[in-house]
Amino acid sequence: MHPILARLERLAAYLGLWCAIGVLVGAVLTRQGLTWPEALVQVLPPLLVYSFICLSAWYVCRAMPLGTSGVPGVLTAAVVAASVAGGLWLLLNEAWLATLESTPGLAPVTERFRAQTPFLLAVAVMLFLLVLSVHYVALAVEAFRAAERQQLELKVLTRDAELRALRAQIDPHFLYNSLNSISALTGTDPAAARRMCLLLADFLRTTLRVSSEEHIALADELTLADRFLSIEQVRFGPRLQVERRIDEGVAECRVPPLVLQPLLENAVAHGIAGLIDGGTIRLDITRRDGRLSIAVENPRDPEALPRKRGGGVGLDNVRRRLSIVFGGAARLDAIPSPDGFRVAIDLPCASDD
Amino acid sequence: MTESLVPLRVAIVDDEPLARAVLREFLSTEPGVEVVAECANGFEAVKAVSELGPDLLLLDVQMPKLDGFEVLDLVGREVAVVFTTAYDQYALRAFEVHAVDYLLKPVSAERLSAALVRVRERLGRGERFTPPGMIAAARPPEGRAHRVLVRDGPRVHVIPVDKIDYVQAQDDYVCFRSEGKDYLKEQTLAETEAALDPAAFVRIHRSYLLNLSRLARVDQDERENRVAVLTDGRRLPVSRAGYARLSERL
Repeated sequence: MHPILARLERLAAYLGLWCAIGVLVGAVLTRQGLTWPEALVQVLPPLLVYSFICLSAWYVCRAMPLGTSGVPGVLTAAVVAASVAGGLWLLLNEAWLATLESTPGLAPVTERFRAQTPFLLAVAVMLFLLVLSVHYVALAVEAFRAAERQQLELKVLTRDAELRALRAQIDPHFLYNSLNSISALTGTDPAAARRMCLLLADFLRTTLRVSSEEHIALADELTLADRFLSIEQVRFGPRLQVERRIDEGVAECRVPPLVLQPLLENAVAHGIAGLIDGGTIRLDITRRDGRLSIAVENPRDPEALPRKRGGGVGLDNVRRRLSIVFGGAARLDAIPSPDGFRVAIDLPCASDD
Repeated sequence: MTESLVPLRVAIVDDEPLARAVLREFLSTEPGVEVVAECANGFEAVKAVSELGPDLLLLDVQMPKLDGFEVLDLVGREVAVVFTTAYDQYALRAFEVHAVDYLLKPVSAERLSAALVRVRERLGRGERFTPPGMIAAARPPEGRAHRVLVRDGPRVHVIPVDKIDYVQAQDDYVCFRSEGKDYLKEQTLAETEAALDPAAFVRIHRSYLLNLSRLARVDQDERENRVAVLTDGRRLPVSRAGYARLSERL
């Protein structure tokens, strides 16, 4: 269905436009010695019928799209369609004149009307061509909008997929090492092995649950962090110590899931694991003026190779997610020192209430 | 088949107590196997090899200070090595340095048994474990060495590369000169050269590899031979080809 015919208000506007054109053409005819009533009577009725014929230009546009048909094809189609439209107009005009002629009292005027036929035919063909080009422009604009919308949709989809992929990163080596610990405990301390199994199950379940959320309460993230550290403490024993300094009232802050856990994972893998006697990971969380600061600090072997700039894949991942979710309103700084590494996240703190 | 098993003396090297415990448990049921040492890091491993002379190291890869490959670099000529790690990406490198086997964590008792069979086969053939030259050829993939490890009996010296003045070839050994001391290592100069950053070290002579930052100037002696004068005043010979390489850099 033609888009103009599909909606009544569009059709009204379209016909109104044609009436205005009819009045314009009528004005030209008054210059030729016709009176206003005579001119309008002659022009308007066939023109309004003709306006519907012109709507067929839409089908021409659809059959010969600009992009794929080439200039000669489009021109040929336009000429053929305009000729057909002109012919139809001639028939309309002839029928209308015949009607007028057979009306008593109008027969003498009809003779003068007939003299205008060549001019009116030219106008009708021009109008058809005008309508045709307007249709082409409208279709091009619509195609452009559709492409733009598609682009936007694609962007949203990619972003979603990326977020999901970024969140779902559980380091498989963490699993392998934990399972190896469980395997060891099974022989020597079955109760501890069972505790470790439950910790690990809990950790995995929570990770999978929160990773599909947009935001979680910081309390959930802290629980996850505690599970993770408990598991790693089974592995590393007294080499891994943790010191927490957490402001009251941060628990209900909403944060993207898994922003803290990767920092701790790094602190263990790149800090504690490289030290013969281990060390202490410090976790600092403060809330001030509607902003939340999360800092994780770990000692590291000063003789080990310095970490990559920016802090490696895990931190890049968190940084990227923060920038997707908050734009410029959140930041992550990785600050290496000779014998330590500190990561600080600063982000807006929104709470549910 | 158990009556004449070659006895195996094993040292377990892993920084995680539980990872050592599970291996110890599995080994306790293996006939003819004795665990002679448990080491929590690479230094202890080198010490254990020197003092106890085990036949086999069960060696973790990721450990503090010295990783498994560095330990193998230091002791691989006198002991068989089976790596144990949660990471599968080191497998290729492990076999390049002639590790006997590569066990993925969590380790199974069956897989460990199979590795012991392979170790016994190799020992039975009297194979030397890591041929010299193999280790330098299997450098860490992440780039040039940033330090050199030299073993002095049970002790390990860690020499940062930028503390090396020059390296001199001496028969089957190379001698690293660093902070007024000499450190001998069984390695060829070509292997050393390959392991060091070519932007920092230049082969100035058949027997000398020089840290460019130690070069003060190049002199000529009375017989028209070129001589590199170091910042500490020491003089090293420069060959014709060595001079060409030096000129390229300067």
